[in-house]
Amino acid sequence: MRILIVEDEERLAANIARSFRESAGYAVDVAKDGEDGLFMAESNPYDAILLDLMLPRMDGGQVLRKLRASKQHTPVMVLTARDEKESVVALLNSGADDYLTKPFDLGELLARVKALIRRGKGQASPVLAVGDLQINTVDRTVRRNQRSIVLTAMEYRVLEYMAHRPRAVVSKTELLEHLYDYNWEKFSNVIEVYISGLRRKLNKGSAAPLIHTYRGQGYVLQP
Amino acid sequence: MPTSSIRRRLILTMVLTQALLAAGLVFTGVYYTHQRLQSSLDANLHARAMGVAALVRYPEEPGHPLVFENSLVSARDLASGDLFEVTAPGVGVVARSPGWPQDLEIPAGGKAYRKVKVAGIPYRALRLEKVPILDREEAVSSLPSTLTVIYATPKVEMNRQVWRAGVYIALASLIFLGITVLLAVWGIRRGLLPLQDLALEASHVSAQHWDFKSPREAELVAELRPLAEAMETMLHRLHQSFEQQRQFLGNAAHELKTPVAILKSTVQSLLQKPRTSTEYQAGLTQSLEDVERLENLLQGMLRLARAEQWAYGTLKRNLESVDVASTCEDAIEGLRGLANAHHADIKLNAEDGILCRADGEDLQLVWINLLENAVRYSPEGTTVNVKVARNDHKARVVVEDQGPGIPAEELPLIFERFHRGDSSRTREIGGFGLGLAIAKALVEAYGGTITPESAVGQGTRMIVDLPLNLN
Repeated sequence: MRILIVEDEERLAANIARSFRESAGYAVDVAKDGEDGLFMAESNPYDAILLDLMLPRMDGGQVLRKLRASKQHTPVMVLTARDEKESVVALLNSGADDYLTKPFDLGELLARVKALIRRGKGQASPVLAVGDLQINTVDRTVRRNQRSIVLTAMEYRVLEYMAHRPRAVVSKTELLEHLYDYNWEKFSNVIEVYISGLRRKLNKGSAAPLIHTYRGQGYVLQP
Repeated sequence: MPTSSIRRRLILTMVLTQALLAAGLVFTGVYYTHQRLQSSLDANLHARAMGVAALVRYPEEPGHPLVFENSLVSARDLASGDLFEVTAPGVGVVARSPGWPQDLEIPAGGKAYRKVKVAGIPYRALRLEKVPILDREEAVSSLPSTLTVIYATPKVEMNRQVWRAGVYIALASLIFLGITVLLAVWGIRRGLLPLQDLALEASHVSAQHWDFKSPREAELVAELRPLAEAMETMLHRLHQSFEQQRQFLGNAAHELKTPVAILKSTVQSLLQKPRTSTEYQAGLTQSLEDVERLENLLQGMLRLARAEQWAYGTLKRNLESVDVASTCEDAIEGLRGLANAHHADIKLNAEDGILCRADGEDLQLVWINLLENAVRYSPEGTTVNVKVARNDHKARVVVEDQGPGIPAEELPLIFERFHRGDSSRTREIGGFGLGLAIAKALVEAYGGTITPESAVGQGTRMIVDLPLNLN
């Protein structure tokens, strides 16, 4: 998963980014002002956007309206220092999916963003199930047939992303775009490495294969 | 505390003046009637006296006394109680009315008309001297040619008429007094209705509802208009300062939330998983920085509140003379580090011996806040100029930078609390937008003014005028 944090307080943005990277294994980009945030949101496929309201250059409300006007349906979590009812209602009405008032709890922010991403991809439970494979997105554990499977961080991230969209063809480019942040060099062959590792670990004990390759298109996770 | 009623007072005043008027009217009426009746009585008295005198004639035969035609005396006059006495010099009494009392004496001299009492009844008497005897043809040299006539008539009838007139006028006055009082009560009650409307309208005003439109009825009353207008402007000002306070509180809460959010996120992300001691140390150092930032903000807000309290005169202090130039020097010294970091220079051009009554630290804070802004907006390699000079009876301090300038539409806003110029630049530049607000509050607390002069691309001049200490 890859999220964008649009927040002008660098310290706060850095803390949130660190928390998402460490506790959720997300790729995180940070934009320091509204214009930058809008540009990044429009040019990268984020799974969620965390948007501060008081931003230099372009305020958060404006960024939100422009995003929604350009048919971007990425879930948006608004971070605001104001908690007046009217402004909250106005925010939700202009396309925000959820909001938190500062100062907020990082754990709550994490949980809410995870829920937003889950819902955005059509999943209700934090435990994703594909056939006999179970992926717990809360403590980031994977089990198949009650057997615990230990994955590397990157392997987990690939699996979690694919498990959010079971039966759909996921291209290498899509995986690269959703698993790495802006500052990473993207090499598509690393994906092949993670996929082969995943296949090996998931199929241990002669279970039926779960990850299928569609030549020239990508991969599909399905039982 | 006893309350007084304008209405009651007005009515009381009205009744008192009306009553006084009525009394005056009664007195004047009675006096006038009395005078008129008395003058006609006097004319009558004179005529009757002359009439009696005309009844005296000389005897037909010499040697006889003067003759008085008793039968010709008006019986009606006698019946009404008239008294007369006719005397002649050297002869004595010629004639007397039948009821003439022995003890009645109206001596010669004094006024012709006079008051007397006969048997307890008030009389008006007339004494006429040297009335010629009309019967001249028969004049007898041995007898006198003139008479003295005394005629008196009772005043009872006249007094009764005067009394009646008095009672009549008094009754009429009372009736009119009653009517005017009723009219006054009604009129005053009606006249004061707009005041009630005004009070009713004013009673609707509250911290949630500030709309106050003085009722049209009150606007149309000349005496109420100043009151209504004063209330309107007073409420407007109250509303403004209330809103300002509320906004300040809202802004303060808002501004406090962000540093608190940063601090909280720093600590929480530090606690998310076990970390190395280096990581903990870095996290704690960060937390400390966050706390310092919070502290700075709080200090700024407190300073502003304190400065504004002085500005509104709630705190009186003993102030000493301060050399303005030296406070500028101290402020510049304190900002050298920041200036060097921005590769900007600060130059001071100061006249010596310019004294103001102020707290040195406060003045220094004003210069620090102005300079901090100037330095932060200064492009690399430019100079911030500070000039201290005497200007009329003011000490004038000008802080001038070669920064990007402030757009005209933003100029009036720069002293507002938590205002931060174009926020794209200022966030990087830092600060909470309290510096200029504090500077302004402090300068105004010492009776000075602060005027910004700026145009985009031409830098900014902050001009501070402070009253000189002339002693």
